Amino acid sequence: MGVETMEIMMTVIIYGVLFSYLLAGILYLVGNLKSKASLFKYALVLAVVGCVLHFALLVIRTLLTGMLPITNGSEFLLTFAWITVLIYLLLSYRYQIQAAGGVVMLLSALLVFVLVALTGGKLHAVSPLMPALKSPWLTVHVITAAVAYSAFTVAAGLAVIQFFPVGQGIREDYTNLMVKCGFALLSLSIVLGAIWAEQAWGQYWSWDPKETWALITWLIYAVYLHLYRSREWRSNYARWMVIIGFLLVMFTFFGVNYLLPGMHSYA
Amino acid sequence: MKTGLIVLVLIGVASAIGSALLPRTFYQTPVFKLLLFLLLLNMFLCTSNRIRLTVRLLLAAPTSKAWYRNLGILLLHLGIVLILIGGLMYSVYGQNERIHLSAGEQVDMQRVLDIEHPFTLQLDEFRIEFNEDGSPSQYISEVTILEEGQEVKQVAISVNHPLNYKGVKAYQYSFGFMINAEYVTEDGEEKSGSFVEGALLQPGGTERKVKIFKYIPNFNPAHGMNTVTLRPDNPRIIFSVYEGDKFLGVGAAAFNEPVEIDESVNVTFTGVEPYTVLEVKHDPGLPLVLTGGITLMLGVCLALLMAPGRKSNKDHQ
Repeated sequence: MGVETMEIMMTVIIYGVLFSYLLAGILYLVGNLKSKASLFKYALVLAVVGCVLHFALLVIRTLLTGMLPITNGSEFLLTFAWITVLIYLLLSYRYQIQAAGGVVMLLSALLVFVLVALTGGKLHAVSPLMPALKSPWLTVHVITAAVAYSAFTVAAGLAVIQFFPVGQGIREDYTNLMVKCGFALLSLSIVLGAIWAEQAWGQYWSWDPKETWALITWLIYAVYLHLYRSREWRSNYARWMVIIGFLLVMFTFFGVNYLLPGMHSYA
Repeated sequence: MKTGLIVLVLIGVASAIGSALLPRTFYQTPVFKLLLFLLLLNMFLCTSNRIRLTVRLLLAAPTSKAWYRNLGILLLHLGIVLILIGGLMYSVYGQNERIHLSAGEQVDMQRVLDIEHPFTLQLDEFRIEFNEDGSPSQYISEVTILEEGQEVKQVAISVNHPLNYKGVKAYQYSFGFMINAEYVTEDGEEKSGSFVEGALLQPGGTERKVKIFKYIPNFNPAHGMNTVTLRPDNPRIIFSVYEGDKFLGVGAAAFNEPVEIDESVNVTFTGVEPYTVLEVKHDPGLPLVLTGGITLMLGVCLALLMAPGRKSNKDHQ
């Protein structure tokens, strides 16, 4: 297949993904506002279609580079957005959380939109890995980070909707479960990253902006988990912490990758 | 636990402010170190309490899910305590230095670090491997370890593959180039030497001086002073000429092409010689930090897997 055909195909798919997520999010929102549960079915179909197309994009990218799509900022964003949708779909299969579908799908659509805006839809460019990234730790460090970010995103989606009457049906321990998953994976990602940094740069912790902000994110969720466990702060306070934690996650990713210089500015 | 959470929040806020205002230096300040030390004290106490609680729970209900969850949370805290102690050991006993070596040069490690087992590191070769597009694919320092003049072994140190020998770790940190130049000195002698970027040459027979500005491996005027790729596809030496303080001009010389500085006064750049920069480190706290990291990871996984089971609200209906 020619490079141009590949480029066009990938662009078409990513816009398809964006459109599916956007429409799914809108249908979830309208379904909740107008109490039309029948719309959830269509929203779910669109979310699943988007998720499958999204997965196809990840597969194409993997075949193109010969590496999992986790080696630069754009690939990370693509993977992170996909896992977010996947977690939401898995969770909604078991638990009744359709009320949060709108927020989660719109957040995912926003992530894909940012990716399109940053890369101009050009996902076919391939460049070789720099020496520091050539390590078996890359895969585990980045995948755990992507799953952690996704879990925090779903947690924030649940927390936001719980402020509204429509979200009252969602139990608070689902949010808590998502934060626990995110926290565990972020812990793994930070430790694995430190092990890798020691091998690559000779220092397991050097207060590089990414490290510092990942730690700050980790700290706020640690405080949340302690307070939640001791039943001191639940409901509104706990929700605000989950939302602030998510904003920190976003800053750790976008702010540090694209604004602050450091060892993580690969994108 | 409250004190601990307050310390956590303080560390978070301090890190954020530090990262914005004083990146790098802030984390070395006594105030920040004190906060980390307070965290260590607090977590040491809370972990000791947790150990007692976990033992009591073990005696009461040894195989319950709750016990494993408690064990997980205990390991998670214990891991952080070990990491903090290991970090403290590094800040007290840790040493790190950077060494520059050209091919053939040796360094006596006991002169660099205060270590028990003396050995000598000799650089045999430093080389850069390239991808097809000219970007670097690996930086490799081939070294020989010598003890009392005897060769012990040969090792390749590259990015992500440090040397670990008798408590000393050496990492591929950076590299650079010395520039070889030939010219006739004021005494009329033919001089050929290796110079660092920025060196000033004073050839004989002229008032003019030559400043070796920079080595550019792949020169293209459109990229100015930046090399197109690190691969030496079109190497040039950027130099400038001065008379007194007056700047006369700048040029890009190819290797072995005599550059006329003044009437019948030439300087010839004959090539470059790469040198490696290794970061050498002795960190007695490293094994403890690694153990702590693994303990933390095990603990967090155990705590998550043993999280209280929840019934879905579909089941309720």
